[in-house]
Order: sequence, then structure tokens, then C-alpha cells
Amino acid sequence: MIGSAGSAGSAFKVASRLGYACAVIPFPATRRSVIERIRGADTEVRRTAFGDLAAGYWRPSYHYLRLHWRLSPEAAEDVVQAFFAVAFEKGYVERYDPSKAKFRTFLRTCLDRFVQNTQKAERAEKRGGGVDRLSLDFPGAEQALAELAASDLRDLDRFFRDEMIRALFERAVDDLRRTCEESGKAALFRVFERHDLAPSPDVSYATLARDLDLTVSQITNYLHTARRRFRELALGHLHSLCGTEEEFRLEARELFGVEADP
Amino acid sequence: MTWLSNDLVERLRDVASRPELASDRYVILRPIGRGGMGSVYAARDEQLGREVAIKVSNAAAPTDDLDQRLRQEARVLARLEHPGIVPVHDAGLLEDGRWFYVMKLVRGKTLADHAASLEHEAARLVVFERVAETVAFAHVAGIVHRDLKPSNVMVGQFGEVLVLDWGVARVLARTDRESGADHQPDGLIDGTSGGTRMGTAGFMAPEQAHGDSSNAGPPADVYALGALLFWMWTGSAAPPDLNEVSRSLGAVSPAPSRRLAAIVRKCLSHAPADRYATAAELMDDLARYRQGSSVSAHRETTIERAGRWLVRYQTFVWLVLAYLVMRVAFAFLR
Repeated sequence: MIGSAGSAGSAFKVASRLGYACAVIPFPATRRSVIERIRGADTEVRRTAFGDLAAGYWRPSYHYLRLHWRLSPEAAEDVVQAFFAVAFEKGYVERYDPSKAKFRTFLRTCLDRFVQNTQKAERAEKRGGGVDRLSLDFPGAEQALAELAASDLRDLDRFFRDEMIRALFERAVDDLRRTCEESGKAALFRVFERHDLAPSPDVSYATLARDLDLTVSQITNYLHTARRRFRELALGHLHSLCGTEEEFRLEARELFGVEADP
Repeated sequence: MTWLSNDLVERLRDVASRPELASDRYVILRPIGRGGMGSVYAARDEQLGREVAIKVSNAAAPTDDLDQRLRQEARVLARLEHPGIVPVHDAGLLEDGRWFYVMKLVRGKTLADHAASLEHEAARLVVFERVAETVAFAHVAGIVHRDLKPSNVMVGQFGEVLVLDWGVARVLARTDRESGADHQPDGLIDGTSGGTRMGTAGFMAPEQAHGDSSNAGPPADVYALGALLFWMWTGSAAPPDLNEVSRSLGAVSPAPSRRLAAIVRKCLSHAPADRYATAAELMDDLARYRQGSSVSAHRETTIERAGRWLVRYQTFVWLVLAYLVMRVAFAFLR
């Protein structure tokens, strides 16, 4: 097994370790980039870093293969499994040069080449032999695909990026739910879910307070805390998906709107 | 795994990006706008039960220059109590130490969006004079805006005109007559260090464009006001060449009068000394123009002067002419 699809626990530990007492978007200075971790000598560290990568990119990759390459669900699933297995085995990621492109662009280019090669050789299903398949929710990804049918595929880099962010946020939401439940703060997630994840954004604090048997002040505080933790978790995951520290800083600023000095 | 629609992804990105205020007096409602220096949010003041606007710097840390500029802007605005300047209600620190300030929530359109509805010269001049009046007030208070442009002018629902974005304003040093030393009033700092270029191309005075923003005085704002006037007639930014300015103004329909075009050219002079010294001087010339008097920017020929005199006193002229026609008619009838 390369690594678990959900590295929520480690991401949360990272977020906590970064010391988010202040709300300013933190940029961890000591944590090594995912490329450094993958290039490292320690096999376990390398495996975990690769697991983080696979967890963050498998679904954008799957949707990309389904929509751009128009592969069948089975073929796309095989290619995703094979791609991450071969990328790990053959050290694709280690060849990344930050001066040439963003990491996700590099990864998408690798995926394109991989599809071209496998289509030529018609051996996608044979690749990755000897390596356990990742435990990934392909049926769930296939269900989500219907929502993406109207996506604009003219800008593939943007599509891939948007899908990466979607997957990132989904993992952060799941992590938030899990950690809230584990720490006995399920009410905090319920408030977040009812207000920020509801189909309609117009639920008033007073209505929520009445429905959840809380005070308006509690609603305000819970939402405040939940949003902060959500951001911490999303940043933790984002960090594991960027090629370099600088790329992480830029992506974080783009994602949450904080600019560097012009 | 939770599936998030595009709308939910955007909403989560929005709520997770919102500034975290240390007190619970204000509840952020929605983002309104985002500029190079800061982001503005609509918020509810729970204490007074009203909607306000909150501006937060885009700085990554409290020590960033952007954050210092936001603080400077709040203090400049607090000094300038004028109907043409958005009042600041409150200021404070976010949980991360960055500055924010609270101001009146202005509902309206920027001049860039509102200009199409200003078809007639009189309507354009009413808006322009309110901008110039506000800038003149700031000049008297020792403050130079340095970034006047259509998107920094807001026209409210009831016709009120507001000059926005004082983030790169320069506070002029006050000379202490006794000591002979210059100092900044009330702890305000000059918004830039020497050699920094600030402003917007097409509305920026040549001295600013050459990187001398730290010495840009009231004539720099006069230049921008001239560029604004030029833009209100042509819809484009002012070219650096004055001959091109004249050609462009002459090509629009209806073209501004020669005297108004001369006022625009004087504002857009390359050398600061050739422009109006302050916005107040520009206002005086505009007032003379509106009254039909001669303006300092334009030396009239005798024919022009006579034509202006005829237009200005046309009622009197028509009465005299009518009287003369009647006298001639009576003379014939006899």
C-alpha cells in the first residue's frame, strides 16, 4: 500500500503544530516540502509524502481523465491507480523542476504523457504490478462527475486546479467533522454545516440558535472557530500538495486572498 | 467523502478568507471589493444595529508596508471631515495584529460606471467640481491624494460624490516657523519613501511617473483632476503630449469649449509650476468659466471676448435689439 487516501490525522497534527493562535495565514517554515520529503532517503517518509500527494490529486486526475481524455470509468480508474503506482516506483515526482512550472501543472503533464504511453502500449491494467491498489472512492468520484459535465475544459490547468481545490476542501470538511466528533464538539460542526455548508447561505444566526438550542453568541463563536479550523486543515493539506515552500505561499495567498507586499 | 458544489467551494473560500476581528461588535456579511492594498467587506455593527464597511489590509503580516498604509489611510480619513470623504467610525486590530478600520457603507457607483449617465456638460461639471472641492479641502489640510482616477470616485444614490482610496496619500510636512524644521503633524507619516512610484498610469502626474512620488505636491492632484476632466469628455486616459490632448478634445462630439479645453490643458501641463498650484485655484477658474467670465488658462482674442460678452449678456443684447427693431419699425410706419 502506497499510503492511505485520507491523511486527515497527519494534516490536523500539522495544522495544530503550526500554532495558529493568530489568524494570519501561517507559512510553516520548518516543514519540508513534499518534493524534499519524496526525495529523502527514509522510505517511510517518502511513502507518506506520496500518500499525501495521491490523496490530494487522485480525484482531480480521475475527473480530468474522464472529461478531457474521455476514458471510460473503468479505464480512468485503472490509469489513476497505475499512474500513482508507477510515479512512485519510477520516481516521476523527483524529476520536478520548480523553475519550469507549478507542481500541479507538472503532475498533469506527467499524467498526459502516461495516458499517451499506456494507450499506445494498451497495457494500462498491467502497470503497477506488485503494488497494492489504493483504496479510493471511484464510485463517489463518478457520481460527482455529473456535476462537472458543464465544466469549461478550454483551460485545462484551471480545471485541474479547481478540482484540486474542491478535493482539498472536501478533505478539510471531512477532517473537521471527524476531529469535532472525536473531541466531543459535534455542535461546532453542526453550526458550520447548517450555516456554511447549507444549500442556501441565508440562514440567520437567530434561526440557527433557535434550531440548535444555542445562543446567538455561541453561534458566532462556533462559526468563528470552525472556519478557522477549516482554513488550518485546508492549508495543511495544501502544503502537502505543493512542490516547494514558495509555491505553497503563492497558492495559499491565491486561495485565501492574502497578498504579499506588492 | 463530502461532495462540494462549485457554489459551496466558493462560499467556503469566502468565509475562510474573512478577517477575524478580535471583538464581536462587527459581524462580517460579505466581501464588497478588493484592491491592491486592502479588501473591503460589508459588516453589521451589532452595537448600533447598522451596516458598515470594514477595510482590511491584504498584508500577510502586521509589519508589512501594506498594513502601515492602511493605518495611514484611516488616520488621514479621520483628519478629513468633509461631505466628499467617507467618514471613519472606528479602527482596531485583527486577531493577527493587522489593522482594520470601519467606515460608512457607501451605496452607489464608481464614476467609471456612472459616467455614461452624465450626458451634458453641466452634469459632468457638477460631479467634477465636487471632486475638486474635496481635493481642495484636503490640500488645505496638508494632504495630497496622489491616486485620483474614475474608479476612486463614488457617486451615491442621492447624487453625493465621494473621493475614495486615500491609501497612498501624502501628508505634507508643516514647517515650524520658530525652529525652521519640518515635521509631520499628529504622528502621520509620509505615505512613501523617496523614489517610490505611486498612482495610476494615465492619471499620474509626470513627476509621479518618474518615480518622484515622495515630492508630489498639490499640483500632482491638479494633474490627476485634469486627467479626470479629460476622461469625462473622451472616455480615455490623458496622453502625455498636450497637442494630443487638444486633438482628442477637439475630436469628441460635443467638444468642450476652447476655454474648458484650456483649463484641461493647464491642469495637464508637464511642469508642476505651469499647472494650477492647488485644486482651489482650479475651482476658481472653473467657477469663472461657469459664470461666463474669462479664465486664467486661456488668453482670448477680441472676437472671442466679444462673443463671450454677447453670450453672457444675451438677454440684454436681445432687449436692445428688439427695442431698436421696434424703433425702426415705428419710423417706417409713420
